[in-house]
Amino acid sequence: MQKSAMINNEIIRKRLAKRYAKERRFRLYGVASITISIAFLLTLLVNISLNGLPAFQQTYINLEVNLDEDILGVTSSSNDKEFLQGNYSKAIKSSLKTLFPNVKGRKNNKALKQLVSSSATYQIRDFVMDNPNMIGTTQSFWFLAKDDIDVFIKGGIDRSLPETDRRIKDLQLIWIDQLLFDQRLEKRFNFTFFTQSDSREPEQAGIKGAVVGSLLVMLVTMLLSFPIGVLAAVYLEEFAPQNNKWVDMIEININNLAAVPSIVFGLLGLAVFIGLFGVPRSVPLVGGLVLTLMTLPTIIITTRAALKAVPYSIREAALALGASRVQMAFHHVVPAAMPGILTGTIIGMAQALGETAPLLMIGMVAFVANVPQGIADPSTVLPVQIYLWSDSPERAFIERTYAAIMVLIGFLVMMNFIAVIMRRIFEKKF
Amino acid sequence: MMNKRSEFDVEINDTKGTPFIDNAKISARNVEVFYEKKQAIFNTSIDIGKNQIVAMIGPSGCGKSTFLRCLNRMNDTIQSCQIRGEIKLDNEDIYARQQDPVLLRARVGMVFQKPNPFSKSIYDNVAYGAKLHGLTSNQVELDDLVEKSLMRAGLFNEVKDDLHKPGTGLSGGQQQRLCIARTIAIDPEVILMDEPTSALDPIATAVIEELMIELSKKYTIVIVTHSMQQAARVSQRTAYFHMGHLIEVNDTNTVFTNPEHQLTENYITGRFG
Amino acid sequence: MEVQQHISQQYNKDLKSIKSNVLSMGCLVELQVQNAIYALLNQDQELAKEVSVSDYKINKMEMEIDADCAKVIAKRQPAAGDLRLVIAVVKIITDLERIGDEAEKIGRYAKKMALKEVAAEMHAELSSLGSKVMTILHDTLDSFARMDAQQAIKVVASDAQIDDEFNKISRLLLTHMMESPRNIKHMLRVTWCVRALERIGDHSQNICEHVVYSVNGKDVRHVHLNKPHQGD
Repeated sequence: MQKSAMINNEIIRKRLAKRYAKERRFRLYGVASITISIAFLLTLLVNISLNGLPAFQQTYINLEVNLDEDILGVTSSSNDKEFLQGNYSKAIKSSLKTLFPNVKGRKNNKALKQLVSSSATYQIRDFVMDNPNMIGTTQSFWFLAKDDIDVFIKGGIDRSLPETDRRIKDLQLIWIDQLLFDQRLEKRFNFTFFTQSDSREPEQAGIKGAVVGSLLVMLVTMLLSFPIGVLAAVYLEEFAPQNNKWVDMIEININNLAAVPSIVFGLLGLAVFIGLFGVPRSVPLVGGLVLTLMTLPTIIITTRAALKAVPYSIREAALALGASRVQMAFHHVVPAAMPGILTGTIIGMAQALGETAPLLMIGMVAFVANVPQGIADPSTVLPVQIYLWSDSPERAFIERTYAAIMVLIGFLVMMNFIAVIMRRIFEKKF
Repeated sequence: MMNKRSEFDVEINDTKGTPFIDNAKISARNVEVFYEKKQAIFNTSIDIGKNQIVAMIGPSGCGKSTFLRCLNRMNDTIQSCQIRGEIKLDNEDIYARQQDPVLLRARVGMVFQKPNPFSKSIYDNVAYGAKLHGLTSNQVELDDLVEKSLMRAGLFNEVKDDLHKPGTGLSGGQQQRLCIARTIAIDPEVILMDEPTSALDPIATAVIEELMIELSKKYTIVIVTHSMQQAARVSQRTAYFHMGHLIEVNDTNTVFTNPEHQLTENYITGRFG
Repeated sequence: MEVQQHISQQYNKDLKSIKSNVLSMGCLVELQVQNAIYALLNQDQELAKEVSVSDYKINKMEMEIDADCAKVIAKRQPAAGDLRLVIAVVKIITDLERIGDEAEKIGRYAKKMALKEVAAEMHAELSSLGSKVMTILHDTLDSFARMDAQQAIKVVASDAQIDDEFNKISRLLLTHMMESPRNIKHMLRVTWCVRALERIGDHSQNICEHVVYSVNGKDVRHVHLNKPHQGD
């Protein structure tokens, strides 16, 4: 007896070392996987940040502009139409001329004018229209620099390349050096990026239109998918007859829908909402409808899971006190499942926020330079904006693409944060 | 063993003892319960007297809980469950077409095995049923009712300063008393208790048992329990279920000192069978 | 009782050992009574002396069984038949112990009476009573051993014979005392012995009643046994 026990001990001890080694290996694998994941994520984030951060700054050029009546072709008493027809670019030209009087020739003059963005003329026009009494004076303005100048200032263009290989001419280099020396050229925070909509000129392009479009689409999606999804889930979970063929079929189909590629929903939306019901294309309403279709299965499935997790004893308690089934569901079961339901909804919303493919199908990929005013205005959304910019040839759009990605990620993080806070609040509300 | 059992099966159809009494609060006749094809309860007839505590004992799966749930139609919530026979509460058939199960459950309250307070405050837990049925007309009355119910459940002094703290934060025994308070707040006539102390420690159990005896002055109580000692301690009459059959109903004293049926004897003395 | 075993084997063993201890105590008591009667009838002073000092064994066993019963009650909370058995045992051993006391008493008197001649005419009566008491005691223990309520009820009924015998002997002794007043002291001793034998019969009757209670759950004490209850 004693002996066999000792032998047993020996056998166990031998295996023990192996078992511990196995355990250590497994832990190592786990740590390694997490490290790799974090490394990927960090690479992604660092890459995006490095590429995107410069977009939050923009090069501005300071010019003294003589708002002379003769140059502008307007007077303080002109009406709006006359103001709109004023020759503001001439004022900028002459202003540049005074800085660099030696520039000769049409070609060089054109290059000189291209130091500042085309938005400079509008800037002067708006200033003059707002302050007609300033006509005749000389004012100091900070204009947006042209995108190539901006890219050069941020180090995106190599000075040492031969002139033909770079987008900035030698003359322009001299002028920039001169402007820098005069402290007439500096980088400032890029408000334009947040206050303007899409533009063909990178330095004038912003994400406001896309952000508002995204918010409107989210609003539509939220308002439709949350109540529909939760009610459908509550019905299926609490009221639908069990072991019923039809209910089983609905369940299977909901699960199938969750796995359908999102572009199919886009095609469906195109055919049904736009083709059949005649909803205008490119508007947040139709985008929201399509994303609702896409989000519903997610919300229904997570809500049902959350409802299932509510212990049956709570239902019994309510029924035994004489609550009806609807009272039982909405007084006790749904509130208890709320943290889970909200998490599911926000996950679904986050999915919808990042969705591009179905929106391409319904025309939300159009170039929209205006901020949408409502759910029936043509608009674009953040991920589509990113897609559009990533396709543009201008160098300056690259950093804007990354910056837009950063904003999108920011929104997603915010939504998850809200999800966490909502969970906290609802869990605390016991 | 097997011979023995089949021998008992012959006489199993007759309930031994005294299942019928005068002036019954609840009287069940020839109740049979089916889960789909499976029969869970066979031809069970029993009377439950007013202000009595009737204990139902028996091995797991003997149908005692199923029978208890027939008494307030909790089995209605299980779709596959079918009930035959007749159960009368004060001579009204509770399975009659015009009987509303919601109203019935207001008259026949239930306390469950696991304490299941709502994840609301203690106050709201007790007030819920009253609010649901509109038993009180204003806040003062409601406050009064909550206090009275908690008092009767012997919980008020322990929680009077924490009425707005969550009911789920109480100890197991307190939670179960909260559930009892919640049940008596709607002033039922009968309280069904499905193993109310099986999740509690002996001290909490003793408190609840004491409470049951106190409550039986006002309510009729039917308790299902796995603890034979508990049945012996609190009940006036004891019913023994075995494999879906009601084997014996008798005075608790008789059941625990001199049961009539061999199966009852075997069960309460802890023998095979 | 023995048809089905407890789920707890230990519980089974506990109850069985209590029962067998009661039986050995019964054997001991029976032996004591037998020896006491023998010593009385045959004026065996040695045996009488032994009987008068052996009672401690019975007392010790009573205490042991008492403790065992308390232990089973505390640990197992016996119910129904088991409960009745334990309660009956607690009472039975009290009666057994009393029987032991009576045997000791007889032993003490037998020791003193061994020196004197017992009236020859008393010998037959004493012998008859003694053998009746022995039979009853034996049947009592037998009915307990077999948990036989029928037999126990018969034993209870047969106690009447002992009472008759006792009355007869009492009258006889009274006559003797009146006839020869010098022998009164001796005759009183005989009376006490007879009385002790009669008490043994009564205690046996009690034990039988406990057996009936244990088996049938019916309390048959202080009721007329004209219609004995049949076992279920």
